[in-house]
Amino acid sequence: MDTAQLLQPEAEMPGIDTGEFVVGAIAGDTGAFEQLYRQFSPRIYGLCLRMTGQREAAEDCTQESFIAAWKALPRFEQRSRFSTWLHRIAVHTVLSRRRGLRNLYEVAEPATGLPEVADPGSGSPPLDIEQAIASLPDGARHVLVLVGIYGYSHAEAAASLGIAEGTCKAQLHRARSLLAATLGLEEK
Amino acid sequence: MTEPARNSLDAQLAKLPRDLPPPRNLWPGIARGIERGALRNPQRHRPMAWAAAAAVAGACLASALTWVVLHGRPNSPSAPIMAAQPSYGDVTTARYVAARDSLEQTFQQRLASLDPATRAKVEASLATIRKAHEDIRQALVAAPASPVLEQLWESTWQDEFDLYDRVVQATQPTMTRT
Repeated sequence: MDTAQLLQPEAEMPGIDTGEFVVGAIAGDTGAFEQLYRQFSPRIYGLCLRMTGQREAAEDCTQESFIAAWKALPRFEQRSRFSTWLHRIAVHTVLSRRRGLRNLYEVAEPATGLPEVADPGSGSPPLDIEQAIASLPDGARHVLVLVGIYGYSHAEAAASLGIAEGTCKAQLHRARSLLAATLGLEEK
Repeated sequence: MTEPARNSLDAQLAKLPRDLPPPRNLWPGIARGIERGALRNPQRHRPMAWAAAAAVAGACLASALTWVVLHGRPNSPSAPIMAAQPSYGDVTTARYVAARDSLEQTFQQRLASLDPATRAKVEASLATIRKAHEDIRQALVAAPASPVLEQLWESTWQDEFDLYDRVVQATQPTMTRT
């Protein structure tokens, strides 16, 4: 399944004409843009939360993504889906923020505080998959979120993340292996 | 990684909801951000670079008009000497386009009066600026939220108008003596 299929606005808000809101927002109607926020913020927040692994950062990135989208709307070519375009902005926002605040994030405690790999012999209960994803290294987590959860192709994810397609595949493999180990799946 | 582990992991990933509502209403912060950045929205306010470019264009046109009034008719229009203009898909303001076309026409007339070596350098500079502009525009399609690209894109407009301005200003004294 490709990104366009996953991000179909019609599937998210049946009966609502997203195009009408997009046209209104392009014309400068903030009310129309707020409707777009209402419709797409759960998807964008979910993406940002999983990519950053931190709630506060995800909130900031969601806000910045919509503000950036508002500024960029005059350049939006309606040949592509608004949701796909907005997704791209969100990914870019997360990555830009990450680069800009690298030091801040790297000294911050992970949201979950989970160990990277569970000790199979410790008898501890299986870890929640969301927590396990949040504990993944950045590169592996970004690829897993885009490809494994949001259905990007490797080519799309690689382009969005600015990495080679081969690197993208390697990162997904790494993410899966780490997740399987963290969740104790290899022992079953 | 074993096949059962892989399948189990895939099953868990597939169950994850793609939509996660924000824990609080983020719209007020977005609305404030939009309000703060309103001056940068071309739908209601021309971007700073465009305004600067328009100012340069206006100054150059005024300069050319003054020269025409004070020193007689300008050189006769010459045949276009520059390569076909690249497509600037984002230019939508008719008044801006008209001003830009007028300025470019004046620029081309003045350019024709330059010696071949100087003219070649100017044309090469213009081609470089336009190539950069088009490259950045295409990059912006892929990364529309990039402030760095946006700034670079705007700066290429300024560079082009600066070049026009320099040529018009530099050729003016020579033309008054003829």
